[in-house]
Amino acid sequence: MWSTVFPYLLSGISVGGQYALIAIGYTMVYGILRLINFAHGDVFMVSGIIMVYLCASGIPLYICIPLVLVLTAFIGFLIERAAYKPLRSAPRMSVMISAIGVSYTLQNLVLYITGGLNQIYPTIPWISNSVTILGATTKMVTVITPFLTIFLVFVLVFLINRTKIGMAMRAVSKDFETSQLMGIKINSVISITFVIGSFLAGVGSILYFTNYTTVIQTSGAMPGLKAFVAAVFGGIGSIPGAVVGAFIIGIMENIIKGLDVILFKAGLIAKPLGLATFSDAFTFALLIIILIVKPTGLFGEKTTDKV
Amino acid sequence: MENNILRIEHLTMQFGGVVAVNDLSMEINRGEIVALIGPNGAGKTTAFNCVTGVYEPTNGQILFCGRQIARSSPTGKMRKMYAGNDASAFVGDSVRLSPDHVTKLGIARTFQNIRLFSGMTVFDNVLTAKHLRRKSNFLVSTLHLNYAEEKRMREETWELLKAVHLLDVADEMATSLPYGKQRLLEIARALATKPTLLLLDEPAAGMNPQETEELSAFIRQIKDEFQLSIFIIEHHMNLVMDISDRIYVIDFGRLIASGVPAEIQNNPAVIEAYLGGEDQ
Amino acid sequence: MKQFVSDRKSRTPAILSFAVIALFYVLVFIAEQHLPSTSMLFTVLKKGATYALVAVSMNLLNGFTGIFSLGQAGFMLIGAYTYAIFTIPLDQRAAVYQYFQGGAVQFSVPVPVALIFAGLAAAFFAFLIGLPVLRLKSDYLAIATLGFAEIIRAIFQWNQLGPITNGSNMLRMFPNFNDFNIRNDAGEVTVYLSTTIPFVISGVCIALIVLLIHSGYGRAFKAIRDDEIAAEAMGINLAHHKQLAFSISSFFAGVGGAMLAMYQTTVQAKSFTSAMTYEILLIVVIGGVGSVTGSVFSSFLFVACSEWWLRFLDEKQMIGTFEVPLLRNGFRLVVFSVIIMIVVLFFRRGIMGTKELPDLFRRKTKEGIK
Repeated sequence: MWSTVFPYLLSGISVGGQYALIAIGYTMVYGILRLINFAHGDVFMVSGIIMVYLCASGIPLYICIPLVLVLTAFIGFLIERAAYKPLRSAPRMSVMISAIGVSYTLQNLVLYITGGLNQIYPTIPWISNSVTILGATTKMVTVITPFLTIFLVFVLVFLINRTKIGMAMRAVSKDFETSQLMGIKINSVISITFVIGSFLAGVGSILYFTNYTTVIQTSGAMPGLKAFVAAVFGGIGSIPGAVVGAFIIGIMENIIKGLDVILFKAGLIAKPLGLATFSDAFTFALLIIILIVKPTGLFGEKTTDKV
Repeated sequence: MENNILRIEHLTMQFGGVVAVNDLSMEINRGEIVALIGPNGAGKTTAFNCVTGVYEPTNGQILFCGRQIARSSPTGKMRKMYAGNDASAFVGDSVRLSPDHVTKLGIARTFQNIRLFSGMTVFDNVLTAKHLRRKSNFLVSTLHLNYAEEKRMREETWELLKAVHLLDVADEMATSLPYGKQRLLEIARALATKPTLLLLDEPAAGMNPQETEELSAFIRQIKDEFQLSIFIIEHHMNLVMDISDRIYVIDFGRLIASGVPAEIQNNPAVIEAYLGGEDQ
Repeated sequence: MKQFVSDRKSRTPAILSFAVIALFYVLVFIAEQHLPSTSMLFTVLKKGATYALVAVSMNLLNGFTGIFSLGQAGFMLIGAYTYAIFTIPLDQRAAVYQYFQGGAVQFSVPVPVALIFAGLAAAFFAFLIGLPVLRLKSDYLAIATLGFAEIIRAIFQWNQLGPITNGSNMLRMFPNFNDFNIRNDAGEVTVYLSTTIPFVISGVCIALIVLLIHSGYGRAFKAIRDDEIAAEAMGINLAHHKQLAFSISSFFAGVGGAMLAMYQTTVQAKSFTSAMTYEILLIVVIGGVGSVTGSVFSSFLFVACSEWWLRFLDEKQMIGTFEVPLLRNGFRLVVFSVIIMIVVLFFRRGIMGTKELPDLFRRKTKEGIK
């Protein structure tokens, strides 16, 4: 039984970590701007595409990797400046529509550049190697991801709680206007938020695409959506919440993919029920349940409106 | 006909650790204009919000024409945190009516920070408030088969706008009006719901002395014309002393004085609380 | 004495608007009889009419009631499937449902009935979904509806429901727009109606929505959009009215989905993605949130650009022996996306803002009187 379940558990933890790195970007941006950055998943995808093209142009891998991370962070910064900053005083729906527009644009841009053909992600030595853990064979990246994710989260939490810029970020997410009045440079805080979020998405893309080696313009849609659900589930605005949510979603998603096999091997069903179709739907069901039961998420806080 | 229109009994409203209204009891009788005054932040609008169903009181009960429209006692976490008086008096079935239900029963209100429907004209703002008294169902209304009812609603809206002298701007967007006229529009809109009791939350805010005088006369006029009882929160003391039959004074959520205007003007506790000079 | 407000304003703009619309319908009919039916014009008109209905239904919800919902594709899906399931001719069912022994539904209904079923099915699910979802704040409502749309899509692809939905296989062979053409005994078309009828269906539905917007309930919806708290204080029950707006909007999204099925001649759950909802949303924004006319104009514009006018951007263009750079497959969508971003950033009110067709005639009339 364990040998049936464990591989799914392992992939679950791995993809959960990758979702976590994306989810952090969503939760930080929402915490500060109350904006659902629909384009974030596509930034993740673009990061993968950039890696493909940089490596294909002959640049050695040890330069490609940091370059991709820098470029991804820069793209995140650029998007905020071009598409969100001009609408900061506009009603919230306008900014959300702008985010949707950016998402649409990024996907079409990549579709145009790649011609719609699947791009194969370059193989990064060592993390692509096969490794056997507790009877399950998988790539090294699957093992590394959770540790790397947790490490980066610790660094980020340290940054937020112990540095001045982190304090500024916390202040802005609590009260936007008052922070401005207190002299905090809002534009810098917002830019840094986007830079950090995109940087982490870039790391996530390296890990993710080393595992699922195909990159196409729609590759960011599902992971993005799921990471967002993770952020909401954990409590939008809470980084630990987003991480916990992401791991839960990653694990459950993979268990459901394997549910037919698991139940069959356990003798509980006679033939496959096609439950894998619901692996994605599970994430959304989770979203709806949490929104109804506790909309502020696992670690979220309640706010009251003044009449 | 019920003579007691509104009775508030031991109303306490606590938000977390802050007791906004503390054991407030008061009543309004038919045809009276009753004012609730007090320094800023004393809890006046909170009391309004409890009456209209926006907030559920922490403790106490509110009766409108003898009927319970709110009744509550501290529950859950609040039982430990409760800092008001006498938490046991209202244990039992709690009652909470939604704001639209309260309005349908006959209580209408205006808002301290004007809340007009910004995407609509002056005329439509008032016309929309006629919707709650509709007799036709959804299908009839959508297919515009309710010609007679729609005509009646529009005529009544016309009359109301005439009463507040806003007919000439009926087709302007509501938010393009000057501040004073927006307040009048809010009153007209509230009147459109055919209330028995009208709650006015600082109707004279932002008005100059002349406008305030006109408002004074206007309030008396609509009281007679529409047979209303009026509950008013106000800082303009001239207006308050001029039109009120009785006044309740609260400070830090507690009732510190009540009586007719003459009594209140000479009450030392009130003077100490804030009546040192007149607020303009 | 007292008259309706509309009496106090000149009736001319409304009459002119009706005239223009009627003229347009006549033109469409005439064009259909004389131009080759394969012309791009008709593709644009048919798809445009379909998208116009869905866009207006979305505008009713988002623009007039202020409920930011991203679930349109899910309701279109329900409508499309309901329509198809109930209209596949009996003798074709075995072929269509080939993996499911001819399928569970063994009867079919006339097209108009099926269209109404499509709307009702979508409205029913909207009602159920609305119960928990409509209490949420705007951002959360957006993602919850998005989530529901994805769940619906997964359910319709589930093979266990195959006897009804055909699982992950296409539904086909149901009546489509071309079946509206009147044929003689030899099978040749005598009267072309394949574009006119969709226009009529779409037009009737949009007319109903316009009637709703101008009724007491429409004013209640706008009140909820402008200020929920004030609306409630004026006696408007929020839950009841939001449910109504949500269900009605979804009804028409369902009918729109059925029309899409007829346009595409096949239906497959996996094409009803959130990308489809985003397209509709962009159409609504470009046309002007809160303008029915804007949504209609914008739908036709959008479809014309994406299917027809900007097509040239996708082909290699040569000037002499010089190949113009950038122009190849997919460039059209890139240009399109950039245009959309420009509208979203700089022309937030869209083409029409909140104006409607009669407003376009209003200025001229005033000048005429003077």
